[in-house]
Amino acid sequence: MNRDWIKVFLAAVFEVFWVIGLKHADSILEWSGTVIAIAVSFYGLIVAGRRLPVGTVYAVFVGLGTAGTAAADILFFGVPFSLPKVLLIVLLLVGVIGLKMVTDEKAAEGVES
Amino acid sequence: MAWISLVIAGLFEMSGVAMMNQYTKDRKWRSLLLLIVSFGASFFFLSIAMDTLPMGTAYAIWTGIGASGGAIIGMLFYGESKDWKRLVFIAMVLSAAVGLKLVS
Repeated sequence: MNRDWIKVFLAAVFEVFWVIGLKHADSILEWSGTVIAIAVSFYGLIVAGRRLPVGTVYAVFVGLGTAGTAAADILFFGVPFSLPKVLLIVLLLVGVIGLKMVTDEKAAEGVES
Repeated sequence: MAWISLVIAGLFEMSGVAMMNQYTKDRKWRSLLLLIVSFGASFFFLSIAMDTLPMGTAYAIWTGIGASGGAIIGMLFYGESKDWKRLVFIAMVLSAAVGLKLVS
């Protein structure tokens, strides 16, 4: 079960890479990296969706990708830090952790049957 | 025109999420192809919308339509859980994501 969540997490990490790529890539090498990151992140989503509900997987993927992109903007691209952003990231992470908890309950029932 | 493109982009994203569900179920090439075409079309219409709309706004609305629509389709057609706790947490994640895109 945890392995599937790690796949969603990795898909979101690659999403951060390709969002940065779409914004900043300006050479063939960087664009190829961006395309590979898109392929890897969608592959991760599909594989994770085999055992977890796709709606949950996609929401977590979008959410973590957005949080990661906002964090990367602040940490690496000089976008100013702001309190609302940090609060939204915290709210988002609480939602992701909550989803992981309620999904695990359901999955455990499924494994037993 | 930009707003219509944005809604179309969101609808294609919903269809992409639905096809992700379909593909994990039937593992058919046709579903995988529809998945790729859906997301491709979605990004295309999103980029048209972004020509005139502010990027954060366009992204926020696109995410909101696609991910919540995808979750609704999952519950209606693919037997995903309708547990209220799951819905609350999905709403929390998506509204935070939309909010982040609006403020950035």
